[in-house]
Amino acid sequence: MMISQFFVLSQRGDNIVFRDYRAEVPKGSTETFFRKVKFWKEDGNAEAPPIFNVDGVNYFHVKVVGLYFVATTRVNVSPSLVLELLQRIARVIKDYLGVLNEDSFRKNFVLVYELLDEVIDFGYVQTTSTEVLKSYVFNEPIVVAPTRLQPIDPAAIFTQGAKRMPGTAVTKSVVANDPGGRRREEIFVDIIEKISVTFSSSGYILTSEIDGTIQMKSYLSGNPEIRLALNEDLNIGRGGRSVYDYRSSSGSGVILDDCNFHESVRLDSFDSDRTLSLVPPDGEFPVMNYRMTQEFKPPFHVNTLIEEAGRLKAEVIIKIRAEFPSDIVANTIIVQMPLPNYTSRASFELEPGAAGQRTDFKESSKMLEWGLKKIVGGAEHTLRAKLTFSQEFHGNITKEAGPVSMTFTIPMYNVSKLQVKYLQIAKKSSSYNPYRWVRYVTQANSYVARI
Amino acid sequence: MSGHDSKYFSTTKKGEIPELKEELNSQYKDKRKDAVKKVIAAMTVGKDVSSLFTDVVNCMQTENLELKKLVYLYLINYAKSQPDLAILAVNTFVKDSQDPNPLIRALAVRTMGCIRVDKITEYLCDPLQKCLKDDDPYVRKTAAICVAKLFDINAELVEDRGFLEALKDLISDNNPMVVANAVAALAEIQENSTSPIFEINSTTLTKLLTALNECTEWGQVFILDALSRYKAADPREAENIVERVTPRLQHANCAVVLSAVKMILQQMELITSTDVIRNLCKKMAPPLVTLLSAEPEIQYVALRNINLIVQKRPTILAHEIKVFFCKYNDPIYVKMEKLEIMIKLASDRNIDQVLLEFKEYATEVDVDFVRKAVRAIGRCAIKLERAAERCISVLLELIKIKVNYVVQEAIIVIKDIFRRYPNTYESIIATLCESLDTLDEPEAKASMIWIIGEYAERIDNADELLESFLESFPEEPAQVQLQLLTATVKLFLKKPTEGPQQMIQIVLNNATVETDNPDLRDRAYIYWRLLSTDPEAAKDVVLAEKPVITDDSNQLEPSLLDELLANISTLSSVYHKPPEAFVTRLKTTVQKTEDEDFAEGSEAGYSSGNPVDSAASPPTTTGNIHPAGRQPAPAPAVPAPVPDLLGDLMGLDNAAIVPVDEPTTPSGPPLPVVVPAAAGQGLQISAQLTRKDGQVFYSMLFENNSQAVLDGFMIQFNKNTFGLAAAGPLQIQPLHPGTSARTLLPMVLFQNMSAGPPSSLLQVAVKNNQQPVWYFTDKIILHALFGEDGRMERGAFLETWRSLPDSNEVLKEFPGITITSVESTIELLTAFNMFFIAKRKNGNQDVIYLSAKVPRDVPFLIELTAMVGQPGLKCAVKTPTPEIAPFFFEAVELLFKA
Repeated sequence: MMISQFFVLSQRGDNIVFRDYRAEVPKGSTETFFRKVKFWKEDGNAEAPPIFNVDGVNYFHVKVVGLYFVATTRVNVSPSLVLELLQRIARVIKDYLGVLNEDSFRKNFVLVYELLDEVIDFGYVQTTSTEVLKSYVFNEPIVVAPTRLQPIDPAAIFTQGAKRMPGTAVTKSVVANDPGGRRREEIFVDIIEKISVTFSSSGYILTSEIDGTIQMKSYLSGNPEIRLALNEDLNIGRGGRSVYDYRSSSGSGVILDDCNFHESVRLDSFDSDRTLSLVPPDGEFPVMNYRMTQEFKPPFHVNTLIEEAGRLKAEVIIKIRAEFPSDIVANTIIVQMPLPNYTSRASFELEPGAAGQRTDFKESSKMLEWGLKKIVGGAEHTLRAKLTFSQEFHGNITKEAGPVSMTFTIPMYNVSKLQVKYLQIAKKSSSYNPYRWVRYVTQANSYVARI
Repeated sequence: MSGHDSKYFSTTKKGEIPELKEELNSQYKDKRKDAVKKVIAAMTVGKDVSSLFTDVVNCMQTENLELKKLVYLYLINYAKSQPDLAILAVNTFVKDSQDPNPLIRALAVRTMGCIRVDKITEYLCDPLQKCLKDDDPYVRKTAAICVAKLFDINAELVEDRGFLEALKDLISDNNPMVVANAVAALAEIQENSTSPIFEINSTTLTKLLTALNECTEWGQVFILDALSRYKAADPREAENIVERVTPRLQHANCAVVLSAVKMILQQMELITSTDVIRNLCKKMAPPLVTLLSAEPEIQYVALRNINLIVQKRPTILAHEIKVFFCKYNDPIYVKMEKLEIMIKLASDRNIDQVLLEFKEYATEVDVDFVRKAVRAIGRCAIKLERAAERCISVLLELIKIKVNYVVQEAIIVIKDIFRRYPNTYESIIATLCESLDTLDEPEAKASMIWIIGEYAERIDNADELLESFLESFPEEPAQVQLQLLTATVKLFLKKPTEGPQQMIQIVLNNATVETDNPDLRDRAYIYWRLLSTDPEAAKDVVLAEKPVITDDSNQLEPSLLDELLANISTLSSVYHKPPEAFVTRLKTTVQKTEDEDFAEGSEAGYSSGNPVDSAASPPTTTGNIHPAGRQPAPAPAVPAPVPDLLGDLMGLDNAAIVPVDEPTTPSGPPLPVVVPAAAGQGLQISAQLTRKDGQVFYSMLFENNSQAVLDGFMIQFNKNTFGLAAAGPLQIQPLHPGTSARTLLPMVLFQNMSAGPPSSLLQVAVKNNQQPVWYFTDKIILHALFGEDGRMERGAFLETWRSLPDSNEVLKEFPGITITSVESTIELLTAFNMFFIAKRKNGNQDVIYLSAKVPRDVPFLIELTAMVGQPGLKCAVKTPTPEIAPFFFEAVELLFKA
């Protein structure tokens, strides 16, 4: 159950952090790892799997904001433990440093080593709770300005645009004080839903799924108890029904296939009134993860038409319609569609007056790309692309093009209808009234329309 | 604290070390702290700051925890290289272990356990004993892990001092964190011990199950994994255990969930009630599926585990096939695993849906994924008889798109379908034949040829089709040649007309006279003889009914499956290999150097390391393990075959590799084997540095035990301490099977010097035109470098001895070496350019003084002390570069043992 080494490498393979806990892995493991990952060719897969063995050493890695977090071991450990640990180390360090990048690591290397010594002893995980670590760790973080911030988690999208969001919150260190010594009393609860939908070529939903998380980040002093109330009509478990069965699900409340909870959550009254109570530890953590296959209304309808025009030309028409209320705005929408590999040219035509849209034909990957800054609920947008082929096509273009895939983010909207009805903080005094931010966001995971 | 830590990385123009030394001894606390930070920064980038040992240790006595931790970090790193100085720290450690502050007590014990120096270990026992019974749980949990550390250093000490008992007591501790660490430590000790130390009985079981509820998530994993070894006494107990563990399935931590699954699966083996089992399966399904919502890395682990679970208990996820449909943005390693599981879960009920998915995947962009999808359709056809026809029609649809690799993959699987359902789907052969001329992959070609031969009587122009392949017969790969041979024989037996008769002549001639391939030749001769002696017998043999195949392409042996299921949620379940196939926890394989922990610094980055290190180290017994888990075990001991990287690895471009010219065949004493034939695909290499006529040579012997002629030998030396490199080309003539060649390769010094601490390792890469690059590690024998001009005048010797400070003297004792006479010793050493200066008697011991010279005129003064005829040789050397003294000791050992 123990690891031998932990290290962090930059995208270029530079060592950022290196700690050896058991001195049983030969020197040069960082280079061995990097070379293996960079030149992964076994089985023909271009991307290295997260776990592999070279000369008796097992290498585990996850990529976080472009950095490789790596652990090595010689024994038959639990791989999910190691991978989960690597993710947690990234999260703890982010809690401390506010921002996770090469620069913040280098500026805080003493702190990072101190953290690593408390997180792991002799290769055994001791704790990954920022709350617990606070009592053992003495270095203070040097906060790095979040320039060129890469999002580490879905919540980071709140920093983009939307004015009502306090943008600095997610890049604020959990332990560092604000200038002036006082911390603002505030708590963030984010309901993040990643949705996957596959439409058949005739527009029917083949599969749909929601992976949701209620994420919390508390900056409250004194760790007061919190009560979080969810929909009263929330049901867990599909009973005996199978995933194929969508009929009976509408109108009977929110039905989760499965959910799990953070260890700090107490479920005493969950069964009776669907409230969760917890004393939130410091740092960012998921209060609850849930999964749903209950039918929901997909936020976008995609319609693709391919018209052949002679033997060497065709026209693709992609139409997307936003099926959510007009006070909701989706942003950073990207629509992609692979074109036949004998496509030599594509010229685009947007609807008249279109603003904030861009189009591109990526020659090397034969990919059509259509980007929209935002889409207002209820709106419909169309793209026409005229394709020129370098050879005559064999008959059916639809077999060699597509599917159309979309990525997007819709703030203040969630498809599952799961809600935080209220967020109650145990009062310390009558004047105690911390800021509470309950935020919703829906993101595309795999949103695909076949043609 | 002010400013940024990164400022500590900046250097000043004045000597860095003296400046740090000054700051470390400053009277101001803050300045001292800053100085230690600078030292640590230097250490992390691989600079040698060991000379500041005393000064840093002096900063250890401080109330400031931040500073103390930094000093401890330094100590862990350098104590091993300065064992004598490390003793200075012992007092503070012992004092700290009694500090009123529990954090300091814990820190002291934690750090002492990390310092693998005997003298420190001795002093660890008493504090550890106290800390195991400390009032503070943080101290106890640290002490628990420390017992495992001590066991790793000195197992006997742990048993003698009763630490095992103390550790077992901690299982009943009231703090769950302490319990978890005690369990982890005991489990590790048990793993490395043959005697029963940590056996779980029903009492410990109850204790641990109780602790489980209060533990942190990580502690839960430790406990669950320890408990999974427990065998319940009866079904009732198994049910009780399962009941206690089931709530863990709701945990947000995937490791906890998988460990709980493992535990439940284990106990299910004992449970007899089908209701209970059905219920458990139902409970396990949603959490298993939820694992697929985690990060892709975790998904991969989950999928590899699910793959095993559904083989044993297919009902668990029978209704969940949709969650294994590939998402558009899944990484390729996730998609591949999902396909495997989809095939396993495919049934008559869901096959239409599954086929729709596979068909969609088969038109995606990633070639490997597309191929696998096509193959998956074929495997479903073989698995599900009633769906076979639908599968075939999907394959035909795909063939019509005419994407080359799809067509070839489809033909390969259709051949398998024909083997599974003989005489059922031959009507499609005509369609297949349309693609005949586009086939360029051996496996696809071979499959198509097999189909033509097998159904020759139903294909009107079978002879024409086969004939089209015959022209290129000699150029075809062996796989295709073998199929062509058999198919032609089949054709001839089925249609013994003139055309086929001529064809068979050509083929048999080609396959017997014109080929080097023994398999092909043997098969051709057998056919030939059969046909010429008894054509009817030939028919019976060649056209015999073939056994029907089943889809076992990814099915595991039941015994292996059981073993892997017992290892759910371990690496074993990801690799699909039993643990002993990849666990090589051998301390001896590790070449540890003192500065290991921090030598790979961030700024030093790539250049300071030894990139070929692991590739060049002696091949381990396991070879490479591919997580994708191909069933046939990989050929043993294949050291990373990366021929193209040769130049890069060595830090030089390929132009520097010297080609082979003409051979020389000197002979000499046997050389040590550096690449055994078993590891070198039949090529055995022996080599050693040697000195001849005042020049350094690399004496090498190549023995070719492989089947092929090896030529184009080249050699390359990695950067090394003395900058040894080849002075000319490696001269080996093409080496025929069963022959060997010896050569003396002239060497030059100071060509490619490595930075960093001196090391006697000499990393070498040898390549030839037929094989992968062989990497091996040799030792630099110092006496091969001693110059002929090493003789010193007595006066000069004394002068030099005195002028060198005492710190330049290094001493080592060789209890195993016996000197038979003073004269023979001197004679032996003189032969290797160590020149006699003087000798004297000290009691009944003889003392001999010798001088030698390492290249670049570095004097090497040697003092040997021994009793003639008695074991034990004391060897002292004094030189301006004492770092290389260890090489000398290696040389002494070599010389006297020989």
